Amino acid sequence: MSSPDAQRNRAAWDAYSDEYQQLHRDFIGRTEPRWGMWQLPESELQILGDVAGKDVLEYGCGAAQWSILLARAGARPVGLDNSGRQLEHARRLMAEAGVDFPLVHASAGEAPLEDGSFEVVFCDHGAMTFADPYATVPEVARLLRPGGLFAFSHMTPLAIVCVDVEADAFVPELKRPLFGLHRIDWGGDEPVDFNLPQGEWIRLFRDNGLIVEDLIEIQPPEGATSTYRSEAETEWARRWPMEQIWRLRKT
Amino acid sequence: MSSDSIERNRAEWTQWAAEFVPGAERKWPTDRISWGVWHVTEAELRVLPDVEGKDVVELGCGTAYVSAWLARHGARPVGVDPTPAQLETARRMQKEHGLEFPLVEAPAEEVPLPDASFDLAVSEYGASIWADPQRWIPEAARLLRPGGHLVFLVNGTVFNLCAKDVEAPPDTTFQRDYFGMYRVEWSDDDSVNFYLGYGDWIRLLRSNGFEVERLVEIQAPADAKPHRYDALPKPDWAQRWPSEDIWVARKVR
Repeated sequence: MSSPDAQRNRAAWDAYSDEYQQLHRDFIGRTEPRWGMWQLPESELQILGDVAGKDVLEYGCGAAQWSILLARAGARPVGLDNSGRQLEHARRLMAEAGVDFPLVHASAGEAPLEDGSFEVVFCDHGAMTFADPYATVPEVARLLRPGGLFAFSHMTPLAIVCVDVEADAFVPELKRPLFGLHRIDWGGDEPVDFNLPQGEWIRLFRDNGLIVEDLIEIQPPEGATSTYRSEAETEWARRWPMEQIWRLRKT
Repeated sequence: MSSDSIERNRAEWTQWAAEFVPGAERKWPTDRISWGVWHVTEAELRVLPDVEGKDVVELGCGTAYVSAWLARHGARPVGVDPTPAQLETARRMQKEHGLEFPLVEAPAEEVPLPDASFDLAVSEYGASIWADPQRWIPEAARLLRPGGHLVFLVNGTVFNLCAKDVEAPPDTTFQRDYFGMYRVEWSDDDSVNFYLGYGDWIRLLRSNGFEVERLVEIQAPADAKPHRYDALPKPDWAQRWPSEDIWVARKVR
């Protein structure tokens, strides 16, 4: 039985999916794997490295733009998403690309997949944003083989506490406490987000046998464009980290 | 390049040393280990390994009260500090309390002690803030035995963004950018502090053979008492955002 937040986020993403895919279709998943809100190339960041021949889970795959590119690079991907509508878009894009791999419709906290099935679990603003980390981190640790890689991008906790909700803007100011940051309800029919203070992330990783290999705080390069962020938001992100990528290794 | 920070900080600490005597007199008599300006206890945080019988180096020990606490818990500490006036206070405390251990006058960037001679390197508001991390973290790695721990307390990263350029507590507005933050200077004194972002600490530690075990972002307790430092956050700020971060790392390579 999925949680009330998983049900709410499924409804939110089912409703938003068509608009989302239309809005970002020319920006994401086009030629090579790229990360995040400014689409920085994996070939530069080298987060996942060589995926050829590896079992890879995209954890909150949306329309599976990433997995399609990884399949082309020789990986054996599985895409998991909580939204059926997002997975319909994934099937369409897979057919267009002429690739095929399993898609799993499930909430991230309860992945119907075997223990130790993957060498890589990753997401790019996926399940690690929209599902409770106290459920997902243990779940990822369960799904990974020893020595496996867990990598994900998401918003920084700093950016979350700098959102001025009334002005709908990121400000150079602390607007909500960092201590206690966990479940973030933006209100209305927005999906519920999850995030934690950095130290609490590290504690949760370590408690689940995951070694911290890197934390890349993204500074969008000069002239970076985004269909996710306004110019003003990108300017904020050039001064303070708005997006970060964790790279973790299962012992 | 950053060597001038050693000279400048030594000069400032020589002037400040007298102000830190009362603190030394308060902290030396106890065996209760606590961290930072909110005195959060080690019993609560548990960031230290068992120190009984262990060789400990305190980098930027000042008046060496942390070393004194660890000595009372069975450790063999060595205090390292670049400022003679601070070490004078430490020596006087040692005599008063009949608790002697070696004190070495040196900056944490260049410690005249042999490789692999310690099980724990510790720094609380010491080298962790006043020494150049690109130089003192490799020194800590060199001094530690394989499997040894490095535990250090720094100003909270979120606080560093809000820290005022003058001697006044922070409010909620950012005073500087995060990207590019490293060496920070102040308009009302000549000291130099070093602030790193989370990712930069992780990369620096790992590139020196450490595994990151914990980051404890200290929350001021509900009954936090006011401290005497004008530039540090008040309790109500520090109950909402981290004013102090403790990194715990272990030397694995």
